Amino acid sequence: MNLARLTERALLCVLALGAGLLLGACARESAAPAARSPAAPPGVVYESHLAAGGHTPPGGTLSNPHAGDAAVAKNGAQLFSTMNCDGCHGGGAAGWVGPNLGDGRWRYGGSDAEVFSSIYYGRPKGMPAFGGALGAEGVWTLVTYLRSLQPPTDVPTESWEEH
Amino acid sequence: MRPIPAGLLALLLGAAAASGAPAANVTPGAGEGEWAMPARDYAGTRFSPLTQITAANATALRPVWTFSTGVLAGHEGQPLVVGDTMYVVTPWPNVLYAFDLSKDGYPLRWKYRPDVSANAIGVSCCDTVNRGAFYADGKVIYNLLDGHTVAVDAKSGRELWKTAIADVGSGETVTMAPLVVGNRVIVGASGGEFGIYGWVKGLDIATGQVVWTAHNMGPDRDMHAQPDTFRPPYDHGADLGVQSWGGEGWRTGGGPVWGFMSYDRDLDLFYYGTGNASPYNAEQRPGDNKWTASVLARRPADGTLVWAYQFTPHDSWDYDATGTMLLADLTVAGHAVKALVHFDKNGFAYTIDRASGRLLVAAPFAPVTWAHAVDLTTGRPVLDPSKQTGASKGNVKDICPSLEGGVSPSSPPAYSPRTHLFYTSTNNMCMEYAAARASYLKGTPFVGVTSPYVAGPGGYLGSFMAWDAATGKKVWENKERYPNWSGALVTAGDVAFYGTLDGWFKSVDARSGKLLSKFKVGSGVVGNPMTYRGPDGRQYVAVYAGFGGDWALLSGDTRSDDPADVRAPADYIKDIARHTSQGGIIWIFGL
Repeated sequence: MNLARLTERALLCVLALGAGLLLGACARESAAPAARSPAAPPGVVYESHLAAGGHTPPGGTLSNPHAGDAAVAKNGAQLFSTMNCDGCHGGGAAGWVGPNLGDGRWRYGGSDAEVFSSIYYGRPKGMPAFGGALGAEGVWTLVTYLRSLQPPTDVPTESWEEH
Repeated sequence: MRPIPAGLLALLLGAAAASGAPAANVTPGAGEGEWAMPARDYAGTRFSPLTQITAANATALRPVWTFSTGVLAGHEGQPLVVGDTMYVVTPWPNVLYAFDLSKDGYPLRWKYRPDVSANAIGVSCCDTVNRGAFYADGKVIYNLLDGHTVAVDAKSGRELWKTAIADVGSGETVTMAPLVVGNRVIVGASGGEFGIYGWVKGLDIATGQVVWTAHNMGPDRDMHAQPDTFRPPYDHGADLGVQSWGGEGWRTGGGPVWGFMSYDRDLDLFYYGTGNASPYNAEQRPGDNKWTASVLARRPADGTLVWAYQFTPHDSWDYDATGTMLLADLTVAGHAVKALVHFDKNGFAYTIDRASGRLLVAAPFAPVTWAHAVDLTTGRPVLDPSKQTGASKGNVKDICPSLEGGVSPSSPPAYSPRTHLFYTSTNNMCMEYAAARASYLKGTPFVGVTSPYVAGPGGYLGSFMAWDAATGKKVWENKERYPNWSGALVTAGDVAFYGTLDGWFKSVDARSGKLLSKFKVGSGVVGNPMTYRGPDGRQYVAVYAGFGGDWALLSGDTRSDDPADVRAPADYIKDIARHTSQGGIIWIFGL
């Protein structure tokens, strides 16, 4: 629907401006789709997956252009809410319908490239593909935010007794 | 069968004689020992005329059989028993089991495993629950989470038809139990957290084809509201479902249907409640937002809207009205009335004239702060303006009930025509509510709120109570340590049954609330107890254990099925995971 598309475009522009990027792009209707950025898949390597015969599938390496950038992480936190990620994963990504993304544990791998892939293409069990709505730049911004979260020190143990 | 002592026999016969006329609109053709539809009868009473289990002997109830469903999500809903077969629907992936109650150990006659999309898991707001099946016309009819209704041959387990009714890609899932009236199968969709354009549909029972679709908001044409037949008791005017939205918000306004429906054969009206308005930030949808958070009365044949009443205009607290509309013939202020009784998430219990929709009684059954009262003349709540929420209002505190409701619509009440009392679980929780602007992105949540909960006054989190709907007064209340999320059952033996979130299954004296028996089942109870007479002539009570529903999200530390998803306890209910964890099990109790 046109209305929805406009909304998405506006959101992306807010994001891009917030990140200090692509200042000119938002004014132009003809801005190139972010999905065509050189950082976009299919160059995904699943670092933590098992490789049959020890052979990793061929593919380029995806690297986060904003890795460790606190300003981008901050924008990502805002985007996490704007794109309704918190509606499923909870405020602070602490888990709701979707899993906790701040516990340092990952169903589909926690490297930047793997988290990128989960958001960009979606996952089974209802994680929508956001690559079409956000483009690669938006997804990297979210990845940078999620990777900035500090898991609690004692995740595995929950005790109800005094020690 | 064991011999019954003479004294007990006299008691049983006496109880049967005193049980009086059954509630109106009992299942056509279903025997008194059967349970063929979600609430046993069209009136939604969850009352059984069986009398073997009484307040005198229920202390001897013991588990006689269990069965793991193999599914971990919250087991809401209830089994059905027709003839000598028990039918059980699981949460996603919505397996249907048919147990042969005539054989030792109740082996399966068959099981039906539909292909249900896993995508629906992420588009269900509050766990992948299912609220049960409806037996009619030799078919077991129920909904699949991914937006399908299926009819399965009750004898063979073969699929007769499967109809796509809802669109997961638009945020619609289906968790409700269908209602079958004549040749219509009536269904609705969840999705109040995804900005759906809420609706009900009528399907043909023979083919599964969608015969009519009626929306819960929008233009009169979409709502099946015509000037000559639509007579809301407190409102007038055309296109109220558009005019009360201050813009286009109705297109993504929610109004889901995920509870239990009831039907009055004499009036030929079916009744259902609609859920919250979307998004939770009410400032994005100025106006009453009709007909969200409302009760609607329609004709089953073509969906014609006859009346509607809105419990919570301009819902600013996620007060879904999807809870049961229980039909009972009462005496209110000396007058015999065909009543509809509804315990709303907003904390008020309403007694309504079910022919006209006019209010008779409205009184709080749980702590309420958002409104002072309900004006019976105008039908509108008398609001506390300081509890209005919205993005411009910041964090509004001390709102009661919480958005889990004074009672969850997933926890249906019961009514006994012998005690004239209504039985319901409650939650005693309040909340803060910080709304924020939400952006609609199809297929993703459309919410916009942060709403931490706190325990309500009194140092307990839930209860099970008996309510006099003719006067709007509590008769007795058993306080529980945790929010109470099970449905209610009451029998002509004057015993009421419920389960607790930490996994106790309890029977109590329906007149006093006195505890008769309790047993720790394998997981917290969020399902609804039911009772039936087995092929051996004995009365049994069945209930699901299976912690979940909202609690799978709120107390995520009760889940241990995913090593990549580890959560801290909820701060207002820190120790629930000490007492229970997930696991779907059918329990049957007997004497």
